[in-house]
Amino acid sequence: MIEAPTTERDRLARRLERFRRAGAGPGAVGDPLPHRRHAARELADRLADAVGGEVVHGERGLHVRVERESVDLPIDRSQLADLPGQPPPDRPLVCLDTETTGLATAAGTVAFLIGIGRWVGDRFRVVQLLLPDHGQEGVLLDELARHIPPDSWLVTYNGRGFDWPLLVTRYRLARRPAPEHAGHLDLLPIVRRLFRHRMADARLGSVERDLLGVIRHDDVDGWEIPGRYLGFLRGGPAQPLAAVVRHNDEDVRSLGRLLVHLERRLGDPDARAIAPRGDLAGLARAFRRDHRFEEAIACLDAALAGRPDELGSGPAVVATQTLAPPPTSRPAEDEPWWSPRRRPDFGGRPVRSSGIGWDRRAAFGRPWDEVRIAVDRAHLLRRSGRTEAALEAWEALACGPGRAAIVAAIEAAKLREHRLADPLGALASVERGLTLADRRRALGMPEPALEADLRHRWRRLRRRGPGQSASRADRTGPASASSVGRSNGAGQSNIAALRPASR
Amino acid sequence: MRTYAPADTPAVLERLLEEPSLARGVVHHEVIPARDALHASMPTWLDERIVSGLASRGIERLYSHQAEAIEAIHAGEDVVVVTPTASGKTLCYALPALQAIAEDPSARALFLFPTKALGQDQVAEFGELAASAGLSMITSTYDGDTPAPIRSTVRAAGQVVVTNPDMLHSAILPHHTKWFQLFEQLKIIVIDELHTYRGVFGSHVANVLRRLLRICAHYGSRPIIVCCSATIGNPSELAAMLTGRPARLIDRNGAPAGERHVLLVDPPVMEPASGARGSAATLAQRWALPFLRAGRQTIVFGRSRVAVEILLTGLREALRESYGPRSRVRGYRGGYLPTERRAIERGLREGEILGVVATNALELGVDIGRLDVAILAGYPGSVAATWQQIGRAGRRLGTSVAVLVASGAPVDQYVIHHPEFLLESTPEEARLDPDNLHVLLAHLRAATFELPFDPGEVFGPAPADDLLAFLAEERHVRQASDGRWYWSSENFPASEISLRSAAPENVVIIDTTPDRPRVLGEVDLFSAQVLVHERAIYIHESIQYYVDRLEWHERKAYVHRVDVDHYTYANRAVTLKPLEVFAEAPATGGRRRHGEVMVASLVTLFKKLKFVTDENVGWGPIDLPELELQTTAYWLTADAARDHWRRDDLDVALLGAGRALQTIAAVLLMVDPRDLGLVTQVRSPHAEEPTIYLYEAVPGGIGLSERLWQRHEELLAGAAELIASCGCDAGCPACTGPRLEPSIDARSLALRLLAELGAPAGARIPVAAAPTTAAHP
Repeated sequence: MIEAPTTERDRLARRLERFRRAGAGPGAVGDPLPHRRHAARELADRLADAVGGEVVHGERGLHVRVERESVDLPIDRSQLADLPGQPPPDRPLVCLDTETTGLATAAGTVAFLIGIGRWVGDRFRVVQLLLPDHGQEGVLLDELARHIPPDSWLVTYNGRGFDWPLLVTRYRLARRPAPEHAGHLDLLPIVRRLFRHRMADARLGSVERDLLGVIRHDDVDGWEIPGRYLGFLRGGPAQPLAAVVRHNDEDVRSLGRLLVHLERRLGDPDARAIAPRGDLAGLARAFRRDHRFEEAIACLDAALAGRPDELGSGPAVVATQTLAPPPTSRPAEDEPWWSPRRRPDFGGRPVRSSGIGWDRRAAFGRPWDEVRIAVDRAHLLRRSGRTEAALEAWEALACGPGRAAIVAAIEAAKLREHRLADPLGALASVERGLTLADRRRALGMPEPALEADLRHRWRRLRRRGPGQSASRADRTGPASASSVGRSNGAGQSNIAALRPASR
Repeated sequence: MRTYAPADTPAVLERLLEEPSLARGVVHHEVIPARDALHASMPTWLDERIVSGLASRGIERLYSHQAEAIEAIHAGEDVVVVTPTASGKTLCYALPALQAIAEDPSARALFLFPTKALGQDQVAEFGELAASAGLSMITSTYDGDTPAPIRSTVRAAGQVVVTNPDMLHSAILPHHTKWFQLFEQLKIIVIDELHTYRGVFGSHVANVLRRLLRICAHYGSRPIIVCCSATIGNPSELAAMLTGRPARLIDRNGAPAGERHVLLVDPPVMEPASGARGSAATLAQRWALPFLRAGRQTIVFGRSRVAVEILLTGLREALRESYGPRSRVRGYRGGYLPTERRAIERGLREGEILGVVATNALELGVDIGRLDVAILAGYPGSVAATWQQIGRAGRRLGTSVAVLVASGAPVDQYVIHHPEFLLESTPEEARLDPDNLHVLLAHLRAATFELPFDPGEVFGPAPADDLLAFLAEERHVRQASDGRWYWSSENFPASEISLRSAAPENVVIIDTTPDRPRVLGEVDLFSAQVLVHERAIYIHESIQYYVDRLEWHERKAYVHRVDVDHYTYANRAVTLKPLEVFAEAPATGGRRRHGEVMVASLVTLFKKLKFVTDENVGWGPIDLPELELQTTAYWLTADAARDHWRRDDLDVALLGAGRALQTIAAVLLMVDPRDLGLVTQVRSPHAEEPTIYLYEAVPGGIGLSERLWQRHEELLAGAAELIASCGCDAGCPACTGPRLEPSIDARSLALRLLAELGAPAGARIPVAAAPTTAAHP
């Protein structure tokens, strides 16, 4: 049925009219708008005018392109490549950031602005591609493919989870292959690993502020962006998109700046020494993931030698845009979890106004203090096969304070028993651990799991080795378990439970 | 009768029928003779590995319906298979799916089940079949419980994806680019339990399937659709309405069956004046006990969670007193843990568990093997559900017994006194309306989100451009300069659609019982007025909740779990105004019409009614604003009656006849009587005629009224029959509704009116009557 009979169409028109009057429609966005088509050409011209770009006419359609002035941003690629997970020095880097019409990486979300940053010699150059109309998306995607050479590495911020899957979806919908590339460096997990200890969240804005010393003024909030673009498509003004294009430009530049920051601050082993100890501890973990234990240990040694309270002393704060009143905060984010008005979460780029990446407790609750670094270091020494050094490190920790001392005693016992064939020494370590646990229990901070582990070890070692320390026999019985119940009245145990596990 | 010696089923039945107090209640005793198996040989084209795999499971030949189905599917036809419970329906779609994947490992199949639990059962069964055929096959469920890391594997490599319509709608279709391997190679779509896709849910699922087929077309595949259904009156029509494509009907059952006794039992009348009857639960227990004591596997169906618990307690108590096999009787209902349910299912299959008391949670295709006796405490609400429950009893060899114990409700009474309704035909049908404007527009939004629309592209009945232009006014879609329609909103439309309700604006029901409140479900505004007003008992998955607070403007109802013996019924005061007549035709003594109407509804008070007896135990006021509902309705006018009836009499007669029509309409169209509203007008404001309206309680309607208009004759005959055969003297809740004025004989007035409207006096429902096909524009 190509053409429905007129009567059916009339009836439908009448029903829709009643539907409209009853206000039963699916919730209009703004006032009803007379349906009108705009020519792609007209849209492209207006868009190019507003954002200071040019309309590029191709054989199959058009797109808008903004060329940004290149800036001086030298980077030592071989030094960068020494860091774990970084691209090889001979690969071209393509820094990529998209602005989209929504947060879901599903079929109806369009990437309408793609910013591409590349190094040409020591200069960093940004090109932005804009979609003037839905119908021109194929042209935009073809153009993007030309900017991604097959041997290049993509550099993104949360691009693995959002930007790239979204672009793959767009290519698939347009029935084209997504561009080949040699690798993908997503800086978000790296920032989390290295800098979470001193940042409130992992938003790119926070990275700029806390690490790169850049503060944006007159920036557009992420949640406003889709509305501005969709408003333009519906015939609204293009002017609000100028700020969006600037925002995207800054995002792409920050990718470059962040790489340079990594290279300068952490890439050079000598410069590393003055980095905040938390950064070094995070870097050590990154090295450890790559099984580069010696470098990891070196990082931790540097961290332990460094000044304890130093935080990042980045470059002087630079204001990149004109001063303006602070942006209004996003409404309706305080809706309770079950509210239908609350934006559903479909993965993708996390909602920017809620602290993303980790919650504040995780950021501030576990600082990289000396003990935590020393624990990491001791683990590393063991994994790298330096048993004696590891034992020494654990023994030193076992003389220290807190829960870590008990853990250290257990670890020392493990090493003595399994690596050094020294059951008597192991037994001594276990007993030291039990003493420490008793002390903590007396302070109202029992460690039942660790105690159970220790008792188990103690029994086993006792069975193996010659009989001694019979005075400890009482620990094995249920008597000590019941004393736990007695000594911890309801109130006390609650207090104990509220205490963070680390300290 | 305190004998615990094992006895066979016919012996126990014979003894029971000799017991006068029980035999008196038997209204009808039907013996369905045993039937031999009809076999067909294995198709020659079937992969050898599959044939030998079947042989290793003891299947050498197929039943005739299985062979017919897989031959048709092999030939590329869509089919709809309609055979009773446990007749081997699974093979009808499992073999073609196995065959397709055996031929080409990149082929894909999609199985849709209405619930998660069923899907998991099927995955296990399908996996066993594949394993015995020596085919390595990746069969995976994709539902809300699937862990995230496994999801990407399912998307890329799952050869058979088992899911449910909700998941398809909200998680698979909007992300179709991540599922391109599935959609490019999709060969077969299986829709099991077809009869559950009716009403609003069915209308939504029909649109989900439209979206699915549209995406398949985008990726260049054209899958075959296989539907399986329980026995209903219109399986082909339902399949065609749901999938939008004609399907070949396969309904000649080739599976063998033993002899089966079906008994329809009516509880005795306790109070002749009001017509109140004894409890169905008590009587059901009396029928169940002797079978249990004789060691016969018995299933007892209760209609609600509470009824199940009452029945279970009663049975156990009685067995304890008489030292019977009390611990071998278990309950089974929604709310039991999955592991507990699996254990009960296994126990039943292996014979360790003797008796089970269940809700309709056991009605769908959960495998519990075959039992000896099924006892239904109350009519389950539809012939299809009745046969599914009866089908739980039925050995391939030997005799089985099914007992349907009626309650005092009007529908129950009607069914029990019209055995031919249950036994001879299936006049009831499943209705849905995929073109309900609310539903259609919602899914059109989702479809545009998934893929842009070409100009002139058909979605549902006609090119979608007019509808898309309507959506463009609301700025959710836009027409680009290339003429195509694109989604242009940052919303995610699938998340705004609930497959269970028609209107976009819903009241969210929040359960505050657990520490962390959870969303129980949603109801549309119109239903919310009567279902979740403050102090209502809201029943969800047969669990009762008490409504503490209804925040009307916030669209939220806060409830907590309770366990009480009553339910609530809210009185709706309704005014109705016709907006547009879709079709009309003369009828005896007047005219019948169907079309769009505006219903204004005001709910002012509710009653508390006891379960089982429907006894009124209290009431309360409701303070809610008036609501308007645009929906469809069927109405008939009694033009001739206007002049020679007394106005008072006519008022009573219209209401009485209307109540009976409403009951019959609910029975014929497999809906809850609450889904159809009744309004009567002695002088309608627009036509000045005495009028009876039956309107649909769902915004926009789901096609019930058009069908009622077509089945007008059956409806009238049924209503007259219901009243005439009712045992009361002047009208009762079971026929003409509660008596408002005891002095007026509503019964005879309603009968007189129905006779004037052309109801054949004393006639039975014309069974298997051909629907009056009407020239519908």
